Amino acid sequence: MKYIELINNLIKEQVSKHEQLVIFGQNISAGSCIGGMTRDLSIPKSGRIINSTNSENSLCGFGFGMMINEVSSIFFMKQLDFLLLGIDHLVNTYNLIRNHKNNASFTIFPIVMDNGFQGLQSSSNNFADFCSIARVKGYTITNKIDAEKIISSKLISPGFRIIAISQRMFKDEIIVPQELIYVNEENNVFQYNSGDDVTIVCFNFSFPYGQQMVDILKENNLKCSFFNINSPTPTNWTKIVDDVSKTKKIIIIDDSKSENLNYHALLNDIYDKVVLDKKIILKRNFDNTEWLNPVDDQMNINYQQIINDLKS
Amino acid sequence: MSELNSLTEKILRIRLAQMMVNENYKDGQFKIPIHLAFGHETFAVAINEIMDDEDKLILTHRNIAYNLARLGKLRPIMDEYYLKCTGLDGAKSGSMNLINPDKGIIYTSSILGNNFSVAVGIAMSLKIKQKNGITIVLGGDGSLEEGSFHESILMFKSLNLSGLLIIENNEWSMATKISERRIPIDLEIFAKSYGVKYVQFSGNNPVNYIQELKKLKEFSKKNNELICIELMVNTLGDWVMTNDQNPDGKFINYHAGPAPTVDVKACPALIKENNSDPIFVLIDLLGVNELNKLSDKIRNELEEEMK
Repeated sequence: MKYIELINNLIKEQVSKHEQLVIFGQNISAGSCIGGMTRDLSIPKSGRIINSTNSENSLCGFGFGMMINEVSSIFFMKQLDFLLLGIDHLVNTYNLIRNHKNNASFTIFPIVMDNGFQGLQSSSNNFADFCSIARVKGYTITNKIDAEKIISSKLISPGFRIIAISQRMFKDEIIVPQELIYVNEENNVFQYNSGDDVTIVCFNFSFPYGQQMVDILKENNLKCSFFNINSPTPTNWTKIVDDVSKTKKIIIIDDSKSENLNYHALLNDIYDKVVLDKKIILKRNFDNTEWLNPVDDQMNINYQQIINDLKS
Repeated sequence: MSELNSLTEKILRIRLAQMMVNENYKDGQFKIPIHLAFGHETFAVAINEIMDDEDKLILTHRNIAYNLARLGKLRPIMDEYYLKCTGLDGAKSGSMNLINPDKGIIYTSSILGNNFSVAVGIAMSLKIKQKNGITIVLGGDGSLEEGSFHESILMFKSLNLSGLLIIENNEWSMATKISERRIPIDLEIFAKSYGVKYVQFSGNNPVNYIQELKKLKEFSKKNNELICIELMVNTLGDWVMTNDQNPDGKFINYHAGPAPTVDVKACPALIKENNSDPIFVLIDLLGVNELNKLSDKIRNELEEEMK
């Protein structure tokens, strides 16, 4: 099953169960239904599905307005870039709501345009930026396990959050991790492998690179622990620090394009407790302006070089 | 008591309560910024009079007159301004975001134009919950310059939502007059282009305001239509600043902070001797002796409340 098909199925299942739910966004039940993300949604008659205007700022306010008066809603958004227009509401409107009692749910569900070919005005890919600015809860969907856990527990539940998916993975087969070793209560730290040789931690939408790394390390008789951080807001990563205390080696993969990266905070916490033998950071290269052009947005990782580095 | 006398007491209560806040403000007692609304009292009372239990009122940073009108008391609001736990919102909101959900004030924004789209969402929530209420949202003439004003009207109309969108036009945005910052906007033509009914209010006659607002509210509810109301209002409290740079004096429009020339001892709480001051209009309607009598009564009640 494709990544986007699984997500569409999980959304369909959740929205069909909730009364008085409003689902809105541009073309959510027209045309391609946002690339299939919102295709064939069906909700109880007490709710509404709205193909909305193109007013991203006001659509954010609209969702918060319903939330204030205890009506739950989901705003499906074509591009994370469009959410830049709604930042006032993410910060200012939400601050008033979260400072008072409220039982409604509001979820903004954007697509992160991270395949690169959309060009320079459709390339904001660091989901953490949006969540960090006002300490908003946010979750990335990267594989079958986190998709099921996050969408079933967070899509419609009291409070506000952003759940982001990756355009780059839309047509890919959904990655099915072999096993889930650990997930914290908040569903934002997932562990999929355990090993003594190295700890791998992925951020933003870099999970597929991490999974590939795990497979290649295995072929080379290296055992690793593998974590994915699905929430960019401050989180308890004691489990990761404990694991690094054991391996003394860490590989961090972050495909975000921002200057402030979430892994800096993790490293700070690790440095407080662990003296590392090896630290490998795999992140974006901004040595030239090519990243502003419509180009393939994949990270180029030399896995063999990393194997050699770990074995040296 | 006649309807006009009753309304006059309510208007005086808001005027005098604000004057008492202003005296404490002049004395440097508040840490938070407060936007007083001298001149807005009559319309605030009229809004309060037309509101039913399920109606929702969405305000701006200049919300004091409406909060006083809805609550009918000063102490909880004053306590909120002092950031005491006994404040109207338990010191969570201060002044610019003060809400009172029990009285239908469920959102108040200090960000220009931010509250329009929130109001659209609230109007939709009333529809989803099949409530009988209506959403009333306020903004200033400065908020017409924000994109969210256009977007929100578009959404109100596209979604067939009822509501009263009220623009308090006091001609000023902080220290600049409309003519100093932009070309004029004909709000009537603007509203018409969206198929929105437009009505202008002016004159500060409380009975007229209430009658007209009641009709508009019913029309909006019956037809699921937004109505745009432009309230011509003068935010009172201006003064003339004289210093070395301005030896002949410079006009300072009141925006926020204490109003230095407004005196709580003024009787009967008059600030400006023309129709822009609701108290002047009431003197014209009831006579100065009646106004003096009523203002003494309200002043005593407020002083008793604040003991």
